[in-house]
Amino acid sequence: MKNEENLAYFLNEAKTIKPRELGKKIRIAFLASSTINGFEETMRVKCFQKGIDCITYVADYNQYNQEILNQDSELYKFKPDITFLILDTRHVLGEHFFSLYSIPHQDRKEIVYTKHKEIQNICRTFQDNFDSKLVVTSLQIPSYSPYGISEGEDYGLKDVIYKINYELFNEFQRPASPKVFIYDFNEFVSKFGENNIFNYKQFFSGDIKISTEYIPKFVNELMGYVYASSGITKKCIVLDLDNTLWGGIIGEDGFDNIKLGDNPVGRSFVEFQKRLLALNKRGIILAINSKNNFDDAIEVIQKHPNMILKEENFACVKINWDDKVVNLQKIAKELNIGLDSMVFFDDDPINQEYVRESLPGVLVVDLPKDSSQYPQIITEMKELDVLKITEEDTKRSDMYLDQKKRKELENKVGDFNEFLKQMNIEVNVQKANSFSIPRISQLTLKTNQFNLTTRRYQEEEVLKFSSSEDKIVECVKVSDKFGDNGITGTYIIEKKDNDEWIIDTFLLSCRIMGRGVEEIMMNQIIEKAKSSGIKKIKGEFIPTAKNKPAENFYEKLGFKKEDEFWVFNTDNIIKKPEHIKVIKNE
Amino acid sequence: MSEKLYRIVSKVFNVDNSKINDETSSENLEEWDSFNFYVLLDEIENEFNIKFDLDETLEIKKIGDFKKIFQKHRIDE
Repeated sequence: MKNEENLAYFLNEAKTIKPRELGKKIRIAFLASSTINGFEETMRVKCFQKGIDCITYVADYNQYNQEILNQDSELYKFKPDITFLILDTRHVLGEHFFSLYSIPHQDRKEIVYTKHKEIQNICRTFQDNFDSKLVVTSLQIPSYSPYGISEGEDYGLKDVIYKINYELFNEFQRPASPKVFIYDFNEFVSKFGENNIFNYKQFFSGDIKISTEYIPKFVNELMGYVYASSGITKKCIVLDLDNTLWGGIIGEDGFDNIKLGDNPVGRSFVEFQKRLLALNKRGIILAINSKNNFDDAIEVIQKHPNMILKEENFACVKINWDDKVVNLQKIAKELNIGLDSMVFFDDDPINQEYVRESLPGVLVVDLPKDSSQYPQIITEMKELDVLKITEEDTKRSDMYLDQKKRKELENKVGDFNEFLKQMNIEVNVQKANSFSIPRISQLTLKTNQFNLTTRRYQEEEVLKFSSSEDKIVECVKVSDKFGDNGITGTYIIEKKDNDEWIIDTFLLSCRIMGRGVEEIMMNQIIEKAKSSGIKKIKGEFIPTAKNKPAENFYEKLGFKKEDEFWVFNTDNIIKKPEHIKVIKNE
Repeated sequence: MSEKLYRIVSKVFNVDNSKINDETSSENLEEWDSFNFYVLLDEIENEFNIKFDLDETLEIKKIGDFKKIFQKHRIDE
């Protein structure tokens, strides 16, 4: 990662970058109640650096109401993927920002009601009319009140803003499948401080409400939405051990002398580990890649009293004298994830450079020598953001632990078919519903390997498909004797006419592939088609750099190639894997 | 000091150092616009460890004007 550049850098870079017409694309609109020069430039450059072509639209100053409420507006024509609405307290409260207490309690109550309704109306209209996500910044809690230290009134200056924010969070940010997101602006303010981000001179001169120096930092806060919507979120953190998870070198300093715990340096590693553990609990996979004697290092992980991360928190452990790049490749393979969904933490600049050069997909953290900075680095990584934590996310670390046990059984049993029989796999087929739609969208955005068409769909699109008469959207929940894998596969069928169905999307999480679940899913489609009197099922294979594992799937199941399509005649049958129990909840 | 000032101006406006002199202004430098002027002020404040007051910022029409303010603040050339 590069050091954070200043706004001049972004303004100048923005003039030189050109869309590359390859890779990911995103359309971003900005609406605001103050001057927001520099925002779109910074965002375009940041996207460009991540391989995303970003096209932006900036609405005229203070036109956000008309842009959203009027269906002929430029914003409608622009068709954004994400829209940022930057609101601010001065604008929303107007004169009341200075003199709220000159009006009685009842009127102040009225202000909360009216202002909340105004913003709510904009959000709801947006929600109903746009395919875009809308990110609205919450209002900054005033840091000053004429009441000074006695501030704390019911419907007082701060309370009014708290209440408006609360209502917005409650309605828009909390639902399982939000389309409108409320960005907690006070998080930004508390991180950098009002005296830094608000510059009176710039405000009086140009109605600039976030000072030029802090614009790149603010835009960086918003990047999490962009990464998550583009599906380039990182899933796995790979960690070195010596001077990364603890201070010192185990092979030289020994078990009793490494720094972990009760001294200044040791505390920074403990805190870093606590941050990692919290991320692990919400779905980030952890792995180890360390050059060490296995026995020395594993002893620390198993027995050190101040070690926060335990063996069970690591989905994959490579402690050996092998090449770090080779280890990373092995980790990717064993966990069945792409190298581009990995983050690598290693204190050694030579290792950092080596991995950066050899595996450009891996995000290599520019870890400084000073371990006291580690906790901040991990808490500021926007690449780990997801729009909504799903149930699968919170269970993921347990699932990987189950996966380890499966691997052990597989190695023990030896014969793969016998292993599958012993797994007691259960597949639960269900129609998409409000609980599964966020996860289905997440699967289309993140699944690369066993994905026949790699079509990426946002939640709103999946929702639209699932309520359409012309489409079937179903997903499978897979469990076995080691545990629940959650929703791991999905397909979207387009009912073309009375004779023919087309497979629009068919994918399976790589954790599950190769155990017969994909055959069960296709069987399900074929049976359904048959019972609806459909003669032909057509599917495409759209090759990408990563979906080779799915390349021969149609052929294996007896589909015949006709032009660019693979076609299955429903008079035929396909062999159904017998080791899997199927439950239907349609 | 001229050298340092010109270097900052050339960096912010992304133009060659040789194009910058005391007479450079928004009139004769295309890259100078009303918004990146704020960025320039900010950079100069940080680099010279100085705070302009609002009046001073409004007086700056060309690069040479920065030098007048510097003299007032007793920053050596």
